[in-house]
Amino acid sequence: MAVTIDPIEQFELKPLVSLGHIGHQQLAFTQSALYMFAAVGVIALITIVATASRSIVPGRMQSLAEIFYEFIADTVHQATGDGGKRFMPLVFSLFMFVLILNLFGMIPYAFAVTSHLIVTFGLAALVISTVVIFGVMKHGTHFFGLFVPSGVPKPLLAILVPIEIISFISRPISLSVRLFANMLAGHIAMKIFAFFVVQLLLAGAWSVLSPLPLFLTIALTALEFLVAALQAYVFATLTAIYLNDALHPGH
Amino acid sequence: MNGDDARGGNGTEGTPTDSELSARLRRLETQIERKRPQAAAEPSTRPRTNGSSSLGQAMTLSTEFVAGVIAGGILGWIVDHVFGTKPWGLIVLLMLGFVAGVYNVMRVSGFSGARPERRDRQEP
Repeated sequence: MAVTIDPIEQFELKPLVSLGHIGHQQLAFTQSALYMFAAVGVIALITIVATASRSIVPGRMQSLAEIFYEFIADTVHQATGDGGKRFMPLVFSLFMFVLILNLFGMIPYAFAVTSHLIVTFGLAALVISTVVIFGVMKHGTHFFGLFVPSGVPKPLLAILVPIEIISFISRPISLSVRLFANMLAGHIAMKIFAFFVVQLLLAGAWSVLSPLPLFLTIALTALEFLVAALQAYVFATLTAIYLNDALHPGH
Repeated sequence: MNGDDARGGNGTEGTPTDSELSARLRRLETQIERKRPQAAAEPSTRPRTNGSSSLGQAMTLSTEFVAGVIAGGILGWIVDHVFGTKPWGLIVLLMLGFVAGVYNVMRVSGFSGARPERRDRQEP
């Protein structure tokens, strides 16, 4: 009678093609990697194929690509000013990659790649290393003036500089944990509430209550679509804000 | 327009050309912004003015705080590991991480005046 279900099971990596071992660690082409390739394919379809005609009055696909482009171009411009143009490709790629992967996760039975911390941390590490490397290349040691707040009495700097450094180190953590936690929690919640429907249907007279979790699941699905888009937007915005620090260390 | 000109005139006598140039640039910018088709302005202003952006901000707040504490903890653990100061690095840096987390939250929610130039530079 009791049907058991594991809400974590959907996040398991399943190796599709094994590429050999390093020690005991198997190197494999997993379904996660497959989804990433599929996402890149979809993004290429939206951006390259759809804009190939370059018509002045855009068709459906081209206007979709243009909406994404203008949206991100505007976000980057708002956060970084004119100097940020060169980071536009990076932010746009990150936004599209995260957005498409999040939306892939919303397809029933599909796998949500961004619910793995290592994926999101990889993306965040890419962003932060870009900020540090570009900042040091452009401004030299002046970049580390980022950690010294201006207009502060000298004795306070002994406390404020470590706080600023910790605050900077916390950036990749917050960037990755936010995306990962939102996707993980959302998918677990949807799975559990959807399972309540099944459990209530099997519980005899209680099955009259089963539409309640069904409606909740529908509402959660809508919410998850919002979260999927919003998290991609937040990721792109914060990337632009952090890149602004590399461009203008200020202080 | 007049406000910009007045500001340019009021600028220091030492560098009149610089202030003039920046005023002219600003005027050009506003003109370009006005000439721009509304298609560019529409998607950009909508998410920023209504709930979408504030919802995104609300989602950043919690993780900003947690990330500060985690970063402090990791840093403290590394310091202890490297210098052999067993409990003290973790204690001190965890507390500093706590402060950094609060500081992060204040910065995101706009309570601190620590980095006003980030937003204000583009807005006027």
